Amino acid sequence: MARLIRTEKEVEGKYTEQWVVVEGEDEALDQWPQGPRAVVGTPARRQDGLQRARGEAEYTADLQLPGTLHAAVLRSPYAHARAKVDLTRARATGWVRGAIGPGDCHVLQEEPSFHGAPVAAVAADSLREARAGLELIDVEWEELEPLLDPEEAVKRESFVDDTRHYSRGDVEAAFAEADVVVEGEFRTQVVLHNALETHQAVCRWEGETLEVYISTQFIWGVRDSISSQLGLPPDRVRVVCNYMGGGFGAKNSPGDHTYIAIALASQTGHPVHCALTRREENLAAGNRNATSQRLRAGARSDGTLVALEGEYVNAIGWAGFNGPTYGPIEMLYACENVRTVTYGAKLNLPPNAAFRAPGFVEGTFGLECLLDELAGRLELDPLELRRRNYADKDLVDDRPFSSKNLLECYDRAEPHWARRDEVRARSEGPWQRGVGLASQIWYGGGGPPSYAWVRVGSDTRATVITAMQDIGTGTRTAMAQIAAEELGLPLERVRCELGDSARGPYASISAGSSTTPSMGPAVRAAAADAARQLLEIAAQRFHLEERVLSLRGGQIVSADGGSWPLEEITGLLEDAQILGKGARGPNPAGMRVLTFGIQVAEVAVDVETGEVVVERIAAIHDVGRVINPLGARSQVEGGIIQGIGHTLSEARLVDPVSGKVLTQTLDAYKLPTIADVPEIVTDLLDIPDEHLTNLGSKGLGEPPIVPTAAAIVNAIRDATGAEVHELPVSREAMLRALAEAREREKRGAPAAV
Amino acid sequence: MELRQPSSLAELDGADGLALAGGTDLVPLLRDGLVEAETLVDVRAVVPRGIDGGTIGAGTTLAELEVDPESPQALREACALAASPQLRSMGTIGGNLLQATRCWYWRLKYPCFLHGGSTCHARQGAHREHAIFGNEHCASAHPSDPAAALLSLGTTLRTDRRELPLADLYRLPTEDDRDVTALEPGELILELEVPKPEASTYLKAMDRTRFTFALVGVAAARFGSETKIALAGVAPIPWLLESADDLDRATPLPGTAYKVDLARALVRRALDALA
Amino acid sequence: MLELKINGGTYEVDPPVGQTLAETLRGDLGLTGTKVACGEGHCGACTVQLDGVPALSCITLVHTVGEREVTTIEGLRDHPLVDAFVRADALQCGFCTPGQIVSAAALVEAEPELTAERVRHAMAGNLCRCGAYPRIEEAILSWRD
Ligand SMILES: Cc1cc2nc3c(=O)[nH]c(=O)nc-3n(C[C@H](O)[C@H](O)[C@H](O)COP(=O)(O)OP(=O)(O)OC[C@H]3O[C@@H](n4cnc5c(N)ncnc54)[C@H](O)[C@@H]3O)c2cc1C
Ligand code: SF4
Ligand code: FES
Ligand code: FES
Repeated sequence: MARLIRTEKEVEGKYTEQWVVVEGEDEALDQWPQGPRAVVGTPARRQDGLQRARGEAEYTADLQLPGTLHAAVLRSPYAHARAKVDLTRARATGWVRGAIGPGDCHVLQEEPSFHGAPVAAVAADSLREARAGLELIDVEWEELEPLLDPEEAVKRESFVDDTRHYSRGDVEAAFAEADVVVEGEFRTQVVLHNALETHQAVCRWEGETLEVYISTQFIWGVRDSISSQLGLPPDRVRVVCNYMGGGFGAKNSPGDHTYIAIALASQTGHPVHCALTRREENLAAGNRNATSQRLRAGARSDGTLVALEGEYVNAIGWAGFNGPTYGPIEMLYACENVRTVTYGAKLNLPPNAAFRAPGFVEGTFGLECLLDELAGRLELDPLELRRRNYADKDLVDDRPFSSKNLLECYDRAEPHWARRDEVRARSEGPWQRGVGLASQIWYGGGGPPSYAWVRVGSDTRATVITAMQDIGTGTRTAMAQIAAEELGLPLERVRCELGDSARGPYASISAGSSTTPSMGPAVRAAAADAARQLLEIAAQRFHLEERVLSLRGGQIVSADGGSWPLEEITGLLEDAQILGKGARGPNPAGMRVLTFGIQVAEVAVDVETGEVVVERIAAIHDVGRVINPLGARSQVEGGIIQGIGHTLSEARLVDPVSGKVLTQTLDAYKLPTIADVPEIVTDLLDIPDEHLTNLGSKGLGEPPIVPTAAAIVNAIRDATGAEVHELPVSREAMLRALAEAREREKRGAPAAV
Repeated sequence: MELRQPSSLAELDGADGLALAGGTDLVPLLRDGLVEAETLVDVRAVVPRGIDGGTIGAGTTLAELEVDPESPQALREACALAASPQLRSMGTIGGNLLQATRCWYWRLKYPCFLHGGSTCHARQGAHREHAIFGNEHCASAHPSDPAAALLSLGTTLRTDRRELPLADLYRLPTEDDRDVTALEPGELILELEVPKPEASTYLKAMDRTRFTFALVGVAAARFGSETKIALAGVAPIPWLLESADDLDRATPLPGTAYKVDLARALVRRALDALA
Repeated sequence: MLELKINGGTYEVDPPVGQTLAETLRGDLGLTGTKVACGEGHCGACTVQLDGVPALSCITLVHTVGEREVTTIEGLRDHPLVDAFVRADALQCGFCTPGQIVSAAALVEAEPELTAERVRHAMAGNLCRCGAYPRIEEAILSWRD
């Protein structure tokens, strides 16, 4: 029976209330007991690994639909300008097949307000011609004064949204009574997602239906945005994404390029491919915004935190969202008195976009570095300081956690933390070594709505069908594993078909670490529905009661010990098929569903050249039940490696005079290479959250990147005494911090080690 | 655009056009319109390739030099730490010496001094990767690692027209001439004559472990009692130091002061390594 | 008219001067296993082999390929490295993977006995934004298993 329920939904820390329809057996299913099972919890190879590795997988970038035209976009070379666009010359040629300007498509701007803002676009038979076509667009530019400085924006009250104020307890009184107060200003830089497949879409009209082939993290979000923007019934928009080459948060919505492709497809009657170049990607496809954080922490001499305060300026850019940089300081520790204020500065700079745990990566860096400085002042072990401030309920909403095993994470971190003396002792000459740690908190509970079907045929093979996307996180594999486990089938007999809104039910976004916790329970419910039907048939066929039957190891097993190959039942189906349907139920009412963890980093710092080498990172995370340990480890490593880039080498640089982005290319914007990777030890607790769905799984995509920067910077302090307060820890930043540490020592101030 | 593919120097004779070797620098420059050419001349069959004692064909790739046991260590190390494996197996040493600046303003076509304009945008702007020497007009930092190594080794070039010390290949841009090399139009580098030092080394500080340009590269080569030091990434051209004390006379921009400290540390290490 | 030797076959194409090998492979010949992620020599996604030597097809002018044999991922589909990559989970989104495998295939051919240090030096030209690096290293070190 379909049920209508009202429930809370969270994506990346944003809560909304909504109605959802739930059908199927979600809640009726008991969670599997803890521990690896026949398929779930057992390492599984990626189902689409071969296609991807052999270069057979067709990404949006690879589509070659007949008659496709290629689009090129004219973008503002100024951070702020007015543009008078004249398309006459472009339209006069035979070979520019379509040309659009402001007025033809809502994303094209007459007053472009950041470097790279789209102003006009053309389509031609080849990309080369399209680019040449751009030369024929006449634009009268009037350059305007750009606003580039976030502090100035705060002064002028140039904000993307209302300033957020939060407070609990009496912060002033608590600071007055604290035995120790530490404060610091922390800064994080802009980093760029740089998924290797750039943002792109191919759009084509098929009769009344608009087909959108797109590199996306959210098929259904794209469908809904386009249908409401164009005033089309949602079913007239078909969104397809079979393979996609990375997103990391930047591909959650259609994006300007898709609307440009649609407008040009409408104008020309041809399919239009609009793909960003790497440079456009790094101008106009989103970024992790810069932050500045003024932080203060007060504690009693035993380490109890009595007050925390944070003032955050998120340098958002021209548009985007004012992310939860305040999250960790409000949520991580059991501190009664907390106050934050968060500004979202609106600037003439490219808009931000969600980037793997937006806000929490930045906020954790500030908070966890400040906490280590506090530990230094208190002469308290940093791990012990964190234990003493353990929160056993959520203090923001005064709710219990659905599950929290952070203390267990801390225990498992002990052996890594205990390497400290040995690591320090390996310091040699200019190379100083040290160890640092940082805690992690983040969302990751997922939520409804999400739906899946499971089809079983006479070949005793099952197919999971759901219109979601696999962005490289191994979704196909994890979903097939869940269905195989429930159906008692070996994994080889189960596949997952996804990637097409016309060929499967609604599925959730692949963001906010929500894919597995949102989709997994729906898949399990669908598989259970299929299993129930199989058992009903078996009961009739063997004249047994359905409740004594179960599916295991490809067999139908009865309570009295009898068993029959499943083929005996599926064989009866002939051309019919069993179709199980499942929906994601609500999250546990009144509870906070969060993920937790800790990372311990070991670094070596060359104190003469400022070189920082991360030598080892141990990552211990509590993300509920682990579906595929092989894929999970890859997610952890990937998050940490992005974290290392964020910490050491990546920075988008902007010309301070013109506001133009200088690091558009991958020689100037420095992603980590294989040679920059440390030893990574992954330890996932794998304890199901007993309150969360029929699986007890949380998301894993984001937690691993959250504490990395802080752990590394704390290890740098441990190694050298240098207090780094800004990212990235470039050579100049490291040398500066080392010089300051030497100054402090000369003045006789205690080094904060 | 036209592409000529002569099979010998004789066949090339007199024709103008822009030399294309590995194309790793030139092809992107052409696409971006930073270099314009009616005619490209594929010089791979014209320029010698290979190593014979101290003579290196200008068409030899960095990958070949990286593993050549006969080459001085500084050159091998400079090649090994340059660019990426693919780029090293495509890029030639001749092309490497002549690669254009990586200054982001220049690459993004700001009408700056080096492009013939009147200001250096890097000076007021973002310049953490820029110069600490010779930066009066243009603050770009020369990107070649092998050039610094070859400079410290006292390399001489043989072109299709003359011989010239590598040091004379480079010149600082001036009001009257914005070029940073002294090659004539159409002149081809054919061979490099590399003296054999008693010991040499190349040290490179960069933002990541591999595959990025030098913030500071230091080459040192010892011949008898004399040690020559040359730097990459510190001036618009590869930069020869008379002695380590030269670093006291650096003229860094606010954002490149750290490079002086970096260079000091690396020069000390290089000298220690050769002692 | 140009004749290109690719993966053991011969192809005739007639591209304008200035066109790259990557454009020819992907656009004219439909060999889309070779990916382009930057188009300017900065990432390694477009790596192919020319006579067994890894090269960046996005900055190789197709007219300069000449007699050299081009090997793309399509020619390496049955290389044991492919299986090694899947076994080790050495790919996530997979967009960098063809380039990684083409580079790695040249590496294991040239140096059958590899160390982690060598792999890290020789694979530093293939960027992977998903961060599959530890598994890539494992896959290459265990490619014969
Ligand atoms: C992403 C990236 C990273 C890099 N990193 C580094 C690095 O870390 N360190 C480093 O040193 N280099 C680095 N490089 C530069 C690279 O090493 C050079 O591009 C390469 O060596 C140039 O050689 P080529 O044969 O490809 O030259 P081409 O691109 O073919 O030519 C370059 C220039 O030299 C001219 N030319 C070529 N050969 C001759 C000749 N024989 N006589 C006269 N003129 C000639 C051409 O006309 C052109 O002007 C990097 C390049 C890239 C793209
Ligand atoms: S450093 Fe040289 S190349 Fe760069 S902006 Fe200044 S003048 Fe131009
Ligand atoms: S696509 Fe060729 S190197 Fe990036
Ligand atoms: S697997 Fe996604 S870029 Fe390498």
